[in-house]
Amino acid sequence: MPPTTDLLQGTLDLLILQTLATGPMHGWGVAQRIEQVSQQVLQVGQGSLYPALHRLEYKGWIQSDWGNSENNRKAKFYSLTATGRKQLESELATWDRLSAAIGLVLGRIPEAAS
Amino acid sequence: MIRESFARLRFLIRSKPQSDVDDELRFHIDQSTERNLAAGMTAQEARRQALIELGGVEQAREQTYQQRPGWWLGTVAQDVRYALRGFQRNPVFTITVIATLAVGIGATTAVFSVVDRILFRSLPYAHDDRLVSIGLVHSLEKQEFMMGGFFFDWRDHQQPFDAMAIQSTGPHACDLIENNPAQLDYMDFDAGYLPMLGISPVLGRNFLTEEALPNGPPVVLISYGLWQGHYNRDPNILNRQINVDGSLVRVVGVLPKDFQFPTLQPVDIVFPMALNPADQKTANGGFGDPMRTFARLKPGVSLEQAREQMEPLFEHTRDTFIPKDVRKDVHLSIRSLRDKETQDSRTMAWILLGSVFAVLLIACANVASLMMVRGEGRERELAVRSALGASRGRLIRQTLTEAALLSLIGAAAGMALAEGLLRVFVRLAPTGIPFLDRAGLDLRIASFTVLLSLVCGALFGLLPALQTPRMVALAARAAKFRSRVVLRRALAVGQIAVSMVLLCGAALLLRSFRNMEEQNLGIQTGGVFTARIALPGFRYDSLHKQMQFYLDAAAAIRRLPGIRAVAFSDSVPPGGWQSGMRWSDVTVDGKPYRGATVGKTLTDRKVTPAYFSALNIPIVRGRTFVEKDMHSAQPVVIVSRLLAARIFPGEDPIGRRVNGQTVVGVAENVKNGGLVEPDAPEIYFLRGKSDKDWEGKKPVMVIGSVLSAKAIAPWVRSQIAAIDATVPVQIEGLDASVSQLADKPRFETSLLGFFALCGLLMAVIGLYGVISFLATQRTQEIGVRMALGATRGNILRLIAGEGVRLIVLGGVVGLGAALLAARLLASMLFHVAPHDPFTFAVVALVLGLVALAATLIPARAATKVEPVVALRYE
Repeated sequence: MPPTTDLLQGTLDLLILQTLATGPMHGWGVAQRIEQVSQQVLQVGQGSLYPALHRLEYKGWIQSDWGNSENNRKAKFYSLTATGRKQLESELATWDRLSAAIGLVLGRIPEAAS
Repeated sequence: MIRESFARLRFLIRSKPQSDVDDELRFHIDQSTERNLAAGMTAQEARRQALIELGGVEQAREQTYQQRPGWWLGTVAQDVRYALRGFQRNPVFTITVIATLAVGIGATTAVFSVVDRILFRSLPYAHDDRLVSIGLVHSLEKQEFMMGGFFFDWRDHQQPFDAMAIQSTGPHACDLIENNPAQLDYMDFDAGYLPMLGISPVLGRNFLTEEALPNGPPVVLISYGLWQGHYNRDPNILNRQINVDGSLVRVVGVLPKDFQFPTLQPVDIVFPMALNPADQKTANGGFGDPMRTFARLKPGVSLEQAREQMEPLFEHTRDTFIPKDVRKDVHLSIRSLRDKETQDSRTMAWILLGSVFAVLLIACANVASLMMVRGEGRERELAVRSALGASRGRLIRQTLTEAALLSLIGAAAGMALAEGLLRVFVRLAPTGIPFLDRAGLDLRIASFTVLLSLVCGALFGLLPALQTPRMVALAARAAKFRSRVVLRRALAVGQIAVSMVLLCGAALLLRSFRNMEEQNLGIQTGGVFTARIALPGFRYDSLHKQMQFYLDAAAAIRRLPGIRAVAFSDSVPPGGWQSGMRWSDVTVDGKPYRGATVGKTLTDRKVTPAYFSALNIPIVRGRTFVEKDMHSAQPVVIVSRLLAARIFPGEDPIGRRVNGQTVVGVAENVKNGGLVEPDAPEIYFLRGKSDKDWEGKKPVMVIGSVLSAKAIAPWVRSQIAAIDATVPVQIEGLDASVSQLADKPRFETSLLGFFALCGLLMAVIGLYGVISFLATQRTQEIGVRMALGATRGNILRLIAGEGVRLIVLGGVVGLGAALLAARLLASMLFHVAPHDPFTFAVVALVLGLVALAATLIPARAATKVEPVVALRYE
């Protein structure tokens, strides 16, 4: 297994929101996507993905609909709501501020504060 | 944020099916499996890896559920269901706990509903904390009064109040003359009275300023009771002319339903208090009319400041108005309205509240003890739950849920009990307890009860809840929990101590009450009746007419069979209103009497000759009044033995002169200051046949008879009706009115006694529980001891010794506390010292014996154990 890193509290929500910003996706897809994009560093799963998805849904940031997957099976697709989009923006801004600040404290210049 | 709450609320109402999550998780695993298959794994391995990757399906599902809003609500419901199942499995435990709590909470609620109005609840007036009663007091009148001669000076020159208002003394009787006549109680107050109290009539209006002036238009306010009872809530009552005592008055308003005069007197109809300040300076010999005065302090002014600021006005009044010889006896008094209204009921209220809280405390200790026993029985169950993943918080919450449930059920049962108890209280209670007629279980009391039950629940729930379920218990054979044993012992000691305090208090009151009942009153009460005749003043408008009526009535009743004597007096001992005199008013042989201290008074009574025989008061020297004295121009008096000894020490009083009247006899002392106060010296004036002998207070008829009240009352009524059928008569047996005087101590004694017995019973049950628990715990040890040769006697001593230690410790602590608490009772005790050694010894003995019995039962049971069984016991 590739080395994994424990996600910071609350970071998973941000990752999920960011992933869903590209379009509706089912839970497995979200996990795969995060793994791929992070080049296998961030492994979601471990029983934390679905609680997080449901939590976000209860907060009204994402919504779910049953649909058919690419291999034509019934799957639950999550998509970002308008509130969720706004939330994503504000969380991204917070993240930038925070990582820049941490970078300063640690004496590193943040490489890509996208 | 708001939108988020809405979203949550939506999910709370429309819950998602659980299978949703299952489907989702299954899809996830299948996807992973397929991917792994594509990567070249075997079917079995692919699925295994997929499951590992997800990390525990069950956990994932569980955690997903927990995200649901209101998830914790579900767990509470779960806890409640679980608790209820537990109660069902163990009905004896449940019923015992609920019954114990119901008694504790019920009694506390009932007592609280009575004392709440005396101690805590605000009075039903605006700014009630700033209202005061102000006036003069002296040794004959302890309630503040004011005279019209100086009130207006005070009102115009005072600083500390932003309002002052007056009412007449009274109430007095008047007659409502119409098709449906009635005798009413009336009172006067001025136009500023209701506004100062923050009261406005429910119908109509208050008096206008010009209506409260002399010769103003004749108007009245009527009480809600009169409006409802007599006028059937007729809205057209306003502006109606009604005939009161022969003159027409116009109704301008109806007082609110719950309005209460600050003097707590019943009043049906109110006239404006129309006083002219100038006239008051000359009326009534320059004193003006007597009145009661109430005032509202300016915001931020304290009672002390008010007293200070009023002192100069008072001193001026004292030095100009009050005769020199009584000046030292007159004082200024300003008290808060609450103090005036509740007076001496306060101590009693606190004592009742304190004792009922003590009972509640004992009950809680018992329940805590029971919960702990139950907790021990469930040690394994809790350990299993803990091992299966229940967090410690969850387990504590479970126990607290059970405690809260039990106490809420207990509170519900307690409320029902309180309703019943309150009825008993009202039935038992003396008339002197303020606001008792208004006591009831309203929302405020109900919230108090719920709060109380939750506090109780926390109290007895937390103790057992804090026991950590230990993993050892899973494997435990006979785990010993030392700390809990100590706690239970402490609870038992506390219970014994508290019930010791309660019992001592109750025993002191009981002795005091018996002393009071058994004392010699100096008069005969059996077969003696009083008849109060309310002569309507407007028809019997002269003293002569009144005297004639009274004498005719007495003569008619005297002729009835079975009547020993019929007399008139202005008052009847031992209690109630009695006329008093100052020593400075007494002359002996023409010279003022100078041998008494300021403030002490003597009782005076104006009686017809038959008074002494009607009440069976012996004449110890000289003679009694005789019929001839009533016509004689030679005035005569009779003095009591106490008075004779006081003013004629060592001399013969017969033939001497007191207040210009010749002493003809000395009567035996009678109890004349109520049941509790010491006797005052007494002087009897003769009520003769001249008109002025019948002025002042309306006389009460005293009838000595050999028949029962049932037989007498209708005869007396018919005799009086034969003279004037419209005159109301009130007949009462003297023994009933004496018994009424003892109502208050009887009430206090029976209540405290009831609480003490409840407390004792619960404490003994608690002690029994602790000892039998200890005995069971030591079963194995007992077995070993017996196997090594200990006799049953040794075992009995071993177990009972444990109990005796607890009893002695609790008893000593309780005795100390009781000695302290008894001081609070001192003012309520009659002829018993608050530290009466006999009472304390008896209580200690009784408590000790009962408690010993409670320990001997389980101790004896312990000795019956077969050693073999005991050794194998786990």
